Amino acid sequence: MDSAYLFGITSQRNAWLTARQAVVAENVANADTPDYKTKDVAPFEDVLNQVGMKMVADNQAHIAMGDGSSDGVARTGQQDWLVTTSDKDVTIEQEMLKAGEVSRSYSLNTSIVKAFHRMLLNTVKG
Amino acid sequence: MIDPIVSSLKIASSGLSAQSTRLRVVSENIANANTTGNVAGADPYQRKTITFAAELDRLTGADLVKVSDVGRDPSAFVVEHDPGNPAANADGYVKMPNVNMLVEMADMREANRSYEANLQVVKQAREIINMTIDLLRS
Repeated sequence: MDSAYLFGITSQRNAWLTARQAVVAENVANADTPDYKTKDVAPFEDVLNQVGMKMVADNQAHIAMGDGSSDGVARTGQQDWLVTTSDKDVTIEQEMLKAGEVSRSYSLNTSIVKAFHRMLLNTVKG
Repeated sequence: MIDPIVSSLKIASSGLSAQSTRLRVVSENIANANTTGNVAGADPYQRKTITFAAELDRLTGADLVKVSDVGRDPSAFVVEHDPGNPAANADGYVKMPNVNMLVEMADMREANRSYEANLQVVKQAREIINMTIDLLRS
Protein backbone atom coordinates (compact mmCIF):
# COMPACT_ATOMS: atom_id res chain seq x y z
CA MET A 1 0.00 0.00 0.00
CA ASP A 2 1.64 3.16 -1.19
CA SER A 3 -0.39 5.97 0.21
CA ALA A 4 -1.98 4.48 3.30
CA TYR A 5 0.55 6.34 5.41
CA LEU A 6 -1.86 9.24 5.13
CA PHE A 7 -3.74 7.78 8.08
CA GLY A 8 -0.53 7.69 10.08
CA ILE A 9 0.46 11.24 9.29
CA THR A 10 -3.00 12.69 9.97
CA SER A 11 -3.28 10.89 13.27
CA GLN A 12 0.14 12.23 14.23
CA ARG A 13 -0.87 15.69 13.21
CA ASN A 14 -4.02 15.32 15.28
CA ALA A 15 -1.99 14.16 18.28
CA TRP A 16 0.12 17.28 17.89
CA LEU A 17 -3.00 19.45 17.61
CA THR A 18 -4.52 18.00 20.78
CA ALA A 19 -1.24 18.61 22.61
CA ARG A 20 -1.41 22.20 21.39
CA GLN A 21 -5.00 22.52 22.55
CA ALA A 22 -3.90 21.38 26.02
CA VAL A 23 -1.18 24.03 26.05
CA VAL A 24 -3.70 26.69 24.99
CA ALA A 25 -5.97 25.54 27.84
CA GLU A 26 -3.05 25.95 30.26
CA ASN A 27 -2.34 29.45 28.99
CA VAL A 28 -5.96 30.54 29.25
CA ALA A 29 -6.42 29.06 32.72
CA ASN A 30 -3.26 30.77 33.94
CA ALA A 31 -3.89 34.07 32.13
CA ASP A 32 -4.27 35.90 35.45
CA THR A 33 -1.52 34.08 37.31
CA PRO A 34 1.34 36.38 38.27
CA ASP A 35 4.71 35.55 36.65
CA TYR A 36 3.16 32.97 34.31
CA LYS A 37 4.60 33.08 30.79
CA THR A 38 3.03 31.85 27.56
CA LYS A 39 3.81 28.28 26.52
CA ASP A 40 3.67 26.79 23.06
CA VAL A 41 4.36 23.46 21.38
CA ALA A 42 7.24 23.21 18.91
CA PRO A 43 5.93 23.47 15.31
CA PHE A 44 4.83 20.21 13.69
CA GLU A 45 7.20 20.78 10.76
CA ASP A 46 10.17 20.88 13.14
CA VAL A 47 9.14 17.59 14.64
CA LEU A 48 8.88 15.96 11.22
CA ASN A 49 12.21 17.41 10.07
CA GLN A 50 13.99 15.77 12.96
CA VAL A 51 12.85 12.34 11.92
CA GLY A 52 15.50 10.47 9.99
CA MET A 53 15.10 7.98 7.19
CA LYS A 54 16.38 4.46 7.28
CA MET A 55 17.72 2.35 4.44
CA VAL A 56 15.63 -0.56 3.36
CA ALA A 57 17.02 -3.86 4.63
CA ASP A 58 16.37 -6.43 1.91
CA ASN A 59 19.03 -8.88 2.98
CA GLN A 60 19.53 -10.63 6.30
CA ALA A 61 23.10 -9.37 6.44
CA HIS A 62 21.99 -5.76 6.37
CA ILE A 63 22.27 -3.96 9.66
CA ALA A 64 19.66 -1.35 10.56
CA MET A 65 21.26 2.03 11.11
CA GLY A 66 19.63 4.69 13.22
CA ASP A 67 15.94 4.95 13.85
CA GLY A 68 13.21 6.15 11.56
CA SER A 69 11.14 4.42 8.97
CA SER A 70 12.21 2.80 5.74
CA ASP A 71 9.05 3.21 3.71
CA GLY A 72 9.77 6.77 2.68
CA VAL A 73 7.51 8.29 5.28
CA ALA A 74 8.65 10.50 8.11
CA ARG A 75 7.14 9.16 11.28
CA THR A 76 7.77 10.13 14.84
CA GLY A 77 7.56 7.60 17.60
CA GLN A 78 7.38 10.17 20.31
CA GLN A 79 4.20 10.94 22.13
CA ASP A 80 5.28 13.89 24.24
CA TRP A 81 5.83 17.04 22.23
CA LEU A 82 8.39 19.67 23.02
CA VAL A 83 6.75 22.46 24.99
CA THR A 84 8.63 25.74 25.13
CA THR A 85 8.05 28.65 27.46
CA SER A 86 8.37 32.14 26.00
CA ASP A 87 9.07 35.32 27.97
CA LYS A 88 5.75 36.93 27.06
CA ASP A 89 2.66 37.32 29.20
CA VAL A 90 -0.52 35.57 28.11
CA THR A 91 -2.83 37.44 25.73
CA ILE A 92 -6.26 35.85 25.80
CA GLU A 93 -7.09 37.05 22.26
CA GLN A 94 -4.02 35.35 20.89
CA GLU A 95 -4.85 32.14 22.70
CA MET A 96 -8.38 32.19 21.28
CA LEU A 97 -6.90 32.59 17.81
CA LYS A 98 -4.64 29.61 18.43
CA ALA A 99 -7.55 27.54 19.67
CA GLY A 100 -9.51 28.43 16.53
CA GLU A 101 -6.57 27.43 14.39
CA VAL A 102 -6.29 24.09 16.20
CA SER A 103 -9.99 23.46 15.75
CA ARG A 104 -9.89 24.26 12.03
CA SER A 105 -6.84 22.11 11.34
CA TYR A 106 -8.37 19.27 13.31
CA SER A 107 -11.56 19.49 11.31
CA LEU A 108 -9.55 19.54 8.07
CA ASN A 109 -7.63 16.45 9.15
CA THR A 110 -10.69 14.49 10.14
CA SER A 111 -12.33 15.42 6.83
CA ILE A 112 -9.30 14.17 4.93
CA VAL A 113 -9.36 10.90 6.85
CA LYS A 114 -13.08 10.54 6.20
CA ALA A 115 -12.67 11.12 2.47
CA PHE A 116 -9.77 8.72 2.30
CA HIS A 117 -11.64 6.13 4.27
CA ARG A 118 -14.56 6.41 1.85
CA MET A 119 -12.18 5.93 -1.04
CA LEU A 120 -10.74 2.79 0.54
CA LEU A 121 -14.19 1.41 1.25
CA ASN A 122 -15.24 2.05 -2.34
CA THR A 123 -12.19 0.14 -3.53
CA VAL A 124 -13.01 -2.78 -1.25
CA LYS A 125 -16.64 -2.86 -2.35
CA GLY A 126 -15.53 -2.79 -5.98
CA MET B 1 0.36 10.13 29.98
CA ILE B 2 -3.31 11.09 29.86
CA ASP B 3 -4.95 12.15 26.61
CA PRO B 4 -4.19 15.86 25.97
CA ILE B 5 -7.81 16.67 25.18
CA VAL B 6 -9.01 15.24 28.47
CA SER B 7 -6.26 17.14 30.24
CA SER B 8 -7.25 20.37 28.50
CA LEU B 9 -10.80 19.90 29.82
CA LYS B 10 -9.32 19.45 33.28
CA ILE B 11 -7.13 22.54 32.96
CA ALA B 12 -10.03 24.65 31.70
CA SER B 13 -12.21 23.51 34.58
CA SER B 14 -9.49 24.53 37.05
CA GLY B 15 -9.54 27.94 35.37
CA LEU B 16 -13.33 28.11 35.66
CA SER B 17 -13.26 27.38 39.38
CA ALA B 18 -10.45 29.89 39.98
CA GLN B 19 -12.35 32.62 38.15
CA SER B 20 -15.57 31.85 40.00
CA THR B 21 -13.73 32.14 43.32
CA ARG B 22 -12.49 35.52 42.10
CA LEU B 23 -16.06 36.51 41.29
CA ARG B 24 -17.09 35.44 44.78
CA VAL B 25 -14.43 37.66 46.36
CA VAL B 26 -15.58 40.59 44.22
CA SER B 27 -19.18 40.10 45.28
CA GLU B 28 -18.11 39.94 48.95
CA ASN B 29 -16.30 43.24 48.51
CA ILE B 30 -19.27 44.90 46.82
CA ALA B 31 -21.75 43.57 49.36
CA ASN B 32 -19.62 44.87 52.21
CA ALA B 33 -18.80 48.22 50.61
CA ASN B 34 -20.59 50.05 53.45
CA THR B 35 -19.91 47.70 56.34
CA THR B 36 -18.52 49.68 59.26
CA GLY B 37 -17.49 48.43 62.66
CA ASN B 38 -20.11 48.31 65.42
CA VAL B 39 -18.21 49.90 68.30
CA ALA B 40 -16.79 53.40 68.42
CA GLY B 41 -13.54 53.71 66.45
CA ALA B 42 -13.62 50.08 65.26
CA ASP B 43 -12.12 49.07 61.92
CA PRO B 44 -14.61 48.53 59.08
CA TYR B 45 -14.62 45.71 56.49
CA GLN B 46 -11.21 45.36 54.87
CA ARG B 47 -11.27 44.69 51.12
CA LYS B 48 -10.30 41.13 50.15
CA THR B 49 -7.83 40.36 47.39
CA ILE B 50 -7.21 37.11 45.52
CA THR B 51 -3.98 35.68 44.11
CA PHE B 52 -3.62 32.84 41.60
CA ALA B 53 -0.72 30.43 41.25
CA ALA B 54 0.19 27.83 38.65
CA GLU B 55 0.13 24.33 40.09
CA LEU B 56 1.82 21.45 38.32
CA ASP B 57 -0.54 18.52 37.86
CA ARG B 58 1.52 15.35 38.13
CA LEU B 59 -0.92 13.21 36.16
CA THR B 60 -0.99 15.37 33.05
CA GLY B 61 2.28 17.28 33.46
CA ALA B 62 0.34 20.47 32.80
CA ASP B 63 0.04 23.66 34.82
CA LEU B 64 -3.37 23.94 36.46
CA VAL B 65 -4.40 27.17 38.12
CA LYS B 66 -5.36 27.42 41.77
CA VAL B 67 -6.23 30.14 44.21
CA SER B 68 -3.04 30.56 46.22
CA ASP B 69 -4.24 33.15 48.67
CA VAL B 70 -7.25 35.25 49.59
CA GLY B 71 -5.68 38.16 51.43
CA ARG B 72 -6.64 41.57 52.74
CA ASP B 73 -5.99 44.88 51.02
CA PRO B 74 -3.78 46.89 53.43
CA SER B 75 -4.61 50.27 51.89
CA ALA B 76 -5.94 53.03 54.15
CA PHE B 77 -9.62 53.31 55.06
CA VAL B 78 -11.72 56.21 53.86
CA VAL B 79 -12.68 58.48 56.76
CA GLU B 80 -16.06 60.19 56.75
CA HIS B 81 -17.58 62.65 59.16
CA ASP B 82 -20.79 61.08 60.52
CA PRO B 83 -21.25 61.66 64.27
CA GLY B 84 -24.52 59.75 64.37
CA ASN B 85 -22.91 56.47 63.30
CA PRO B 86 -22.35 53.91 66.07
CA ALA B 87 -18.80 53.38 64.76
CA ALA B 88 -17.92 57.09 64.95
CA ASN B 89 -14.96 57.95 67.14
CA ALA B 90 -14.84 60.77 69.70
CA ASP B 91 -14.42 63.39 66.96
CA GLY B 92 -17.37 62.06 64.93
CA TYR B 93 -15.30 60.40 62.20
CA VAL B 94 -16.20 56.95 60.84
CA LYS B 95 -13.78 54.64 59.06
CA MET B 96 -15.40 53.35 55.87
CA PRO B 97 -14.20 50.21 54.02
CA ASN B 98 -11.39 50.62 51.47
CA VAL B 99 -13.62 49.22 48.72
CA ASN B 100 -13.63 51.17 45.45
CA MET B 101 -16.72 50.33 43.44
CA LEU B 102 -15.07 51.15 40.11
CA VAL B 103 -12.16 48.83 40.81
CA GLU B 104 -14.53 46.06 41.84
CA MET B 105 -16.63 46.48 38.71
CA ALA B 106 -13.55 46.35 36.50
CA ASP B 107 -12.34 43.26 38.33
CA MET B 108 -15.73 41.63 37.89
CA ARG B 109 -15.68 42.29 34.15
CA GLU B 110 -12.22 40.82 33.88
CA ALA B 111 -13.18 37.72 35.83
CA ASN B 112 -16.17 37.36 33.52
CA ARG B 113 -13.99 37.62 30.44
CA SER B 114 -11.52 35.03 31.72
CA TYR B 115 -14.40 32.73 32.63
CA GLU B 116 -15.74 33.04 29.08
CA ALA B 117 -12.31 32.30 27.63
CA ASN B 118 -12.08 29.12 29.69
CA LEU B 119 -15.57 28.12 28.61
CA GLN B 120 -14.53 28.64 25.02
CA VAL B 121 -11.63 26.26 25.52
CA VAL B 122 -14.02 23.65 26.94
CA LYS B 123 -16.31 24.08 23.92
CA GLN B 124 -13.47 23.70 21.47
CA ALA B 125 -12.14 20.60 23.20
CA ARG B 126 -15.62 19.11 23.05
CA GLU B 127 -15.82 19.93 19.36
CA ILE B 128 -12.52 18.12 18.77
CA ILE B 129 -13.77 15.07 20.65
CA ASN B 130 -16.95 15.09 18.56
CA MET B 131 -14.97 15.35 15.31
CA THR B 132 -12.96 12.31 16.35
CA ILE B 133 -16.06 10.33 17.20
CA ASP B 134 -17.60 11.34 13.86
CA LEU B 135 -14.73 9.52 12.15
CA LEU B 136 -16.34 6.28 13.24
CA ARG B 137 -19.68 7.27 11.75
CA SER B 138 -18.49 7.82 8.20
